[in-house]
Amino acid sequence: MIETIFFEEQIAEHPTTERIRKALPRASWIPIERYQELFNKRHQNFKLQKKNPALILAKKHDNFVLPAPSGFGMESYKNFYFSHMYNCLYDCKYCFLQGMYSSANFVLFVNYEDFFKAISDKIEEYKGRSLTFFSGYDCDSLAFDKLSGFADQALNFFNDFSNVELELRTKSIAINSLLQRRPLSNCVVAFSLSPAKIAKSLDSKAPSISRRISAIKQLAAAGWKIGLRFDPLIYTSDWKQLYASLFAEIMDGLDPSMIHSISYGPLRFPKKMYKKAASLHPEHKLFAFPMEETKGVVSYGTKIETQMHDFLKSELNKYTSEKKIFQCTI
Amino acid sequence: MSEFRNFENHSNDQFNFCWVIALRAEATPLIKAFNMKNVGNKSLFPIYTNEETGHALVISGIGSVKSAAAATFLKNQLKIKDHSAWINFGIAGFFKGPIGDLYQAIKVVSKESGAAFFPGLRLTKLLPASILFTVSKPENEYKEQVLYDMEASGFCEMAPIFSCNELTYVIKIISDTPNNSSSLITKNLVRELIEKKLPKIQNILAEIKILVEEEKKRLLIPNEVMKFEKRFKFTETNKYKFRETYRKWKIAFPTKNLELSEFLNFQPKEIILKLENELLVNAKDWTVL
Repeated sequence: MIETIFFEEQIAEHPTTERIRKALPRASWIPIERYQELFNKRHQNFKLQKKNPALILAKKHDNFVLPAPSGFGMESYKNFYFSHMYNCLYDCKYCFLQGMYSSANFVLFVNYEDFFKAISDKIEEYKGRSLTFFSGYDCDSLAFDKLSGFADQALNFFNDFSNVELELRTKSIAINSLLQRRPLSNCVVAFSLSPAKIAKSLDSKAPSISRRISAIKQLAAAGWKIGLRFDPLIYTSDWKQLYASLFAEIMDGLDPSMIHSISYGPLRFPKKMYKKAASLHPEHKLFAFPMEETKGVVSYGTKIETQMHDFLKSELNKYTSEKKIFQCTI
Repeated sequence: MSEFRNFENHSNDQFNFCWVIALRAEATPLIKAFNMKNVGNKSLFPIYTNEETGHALVISGIGSVKSAAAATFLKNQLKIKDHSAWINFGIAGFFKGPIGDLYQAIKVVSKESGAAFFPGLRLTKLLPASILFTVSKPENEYKEQVLYDMEASGFCEMAPIFSCNELTYVIKIISDTPNNSSSLITKNLVRELIEKKLPKIQNILAEIKILVEEEKKRLLIPNEVMKFEKRFKFTETNKYKFRETYRKWKIAFPTKNLELSEFLNFQPKEIILKLENELLVNAKDWTVL
């Protein structure tokens, strides 16, 4: 539960702010000038702050839509991402957000309308081309949705642009806003998944794998296209068995035609981020593995990555066509 | 100038709470409650400590500059470690009563410079939160719905550097309001207001101590590492590498000890290499739990 909300005075009366004010009447509401004065302060302790993060409501002024890093998406002509929020309710040990910001507070940019305007501009710029817009790069697309109401507005917007695709990437089971409306043919609800044993150890505060799988099946049954994201792949001595069982559990009773795409990606950190994440969780086994470092990137190394890639590809081929499977390489 | 009794004997690991307090009248109830003893009354700022209860306290005098200076003085004189919590505690004016209520300031603004600070992790279950304005002259009009004090912004400028923002706290007790003029504040009143709140203060400290202990654990350099670093001449790069490799090695082999006697003829690099090799061999049987 959010107990403290810092809000930029310039968006005090924005409809999204009003909506959140109504939803959280008992929280302490503290005015600020710009979110950076709080979010970017030095000497913040991410790990301690994560115990009781505040919500910061802000206005985003620029860089609404950015090109997705190469290797992030599938075969669209262009992939873009947008972040209406910084940071995540969950505390997954491997997540790059662990090392990305000095603050664990959540920043929600309430001026969704400016995001949609920027997306329209991109669609116009690349008229006739296949485009995919990714939400959930700097946050989880749905985890905060009960409060933010973002998904509903995004879906209303993308409903008018059936030629471009929206991916909502999530670990959340807050899917009511989706189930209550007609599925959009150009929206993919992509779930990040790991074997339950691994998720239990690494995906702190996130819904369990069985609940995520149940959400996937409900959405698929309601007609929503599903993305399955096994990213990052986590190595353990029994990883083959764990991943094989996970795939079987997901696919059991799931209509394969509802699967839009499946992706997987190796565990990789820029060196600086790895150091920061390891210093936040020095006791965790994830950061005790003898990782390799090549060109400033910390990873399991080529040998393990190749083994995992080969196994996943062949295992996933049992359930869906090869053209729906891709490796995320960032 | 400075005169410290037994300063060299301080085991500074023990100071979980570092208090920075403007007035002796505000400090006295805490000094008594935590059985602190004076260790430097003739120094720049009077310092009180009790290693057993884990408290250190400095009396800064009035004003934000003095508060920053006193906090720095305490940090340097007692060589306070990075995991300690820093607390600026004292009386404050407020736009409403009753006097004696405790508040956590979660936004502190220097009225002089306009600088804003956001100290502490929110202690929601224990304390109401408020904005606080640090002013250079006593505030008697209480124009805004905020706390007024004369120190916190200076304290907030320095204390997060000593540990972190989440271990920096500004906690104030209401002493004057539009209906209770600041001219009525006496030493006795201050003492009484604070003494009444001591049980609550104890609860707040218990909550903060959980964070201190967590941070202490995270920053701890194990004795085994210290012994090796004392015995072998590590370069700065190798020292970092050794600490990192040891950390991994200890997680992988929690029941093993690193015995100096097994490494007597080793070079620092060879120690690191040996630990790395053991980790690699163990990687085949890796689990994430």
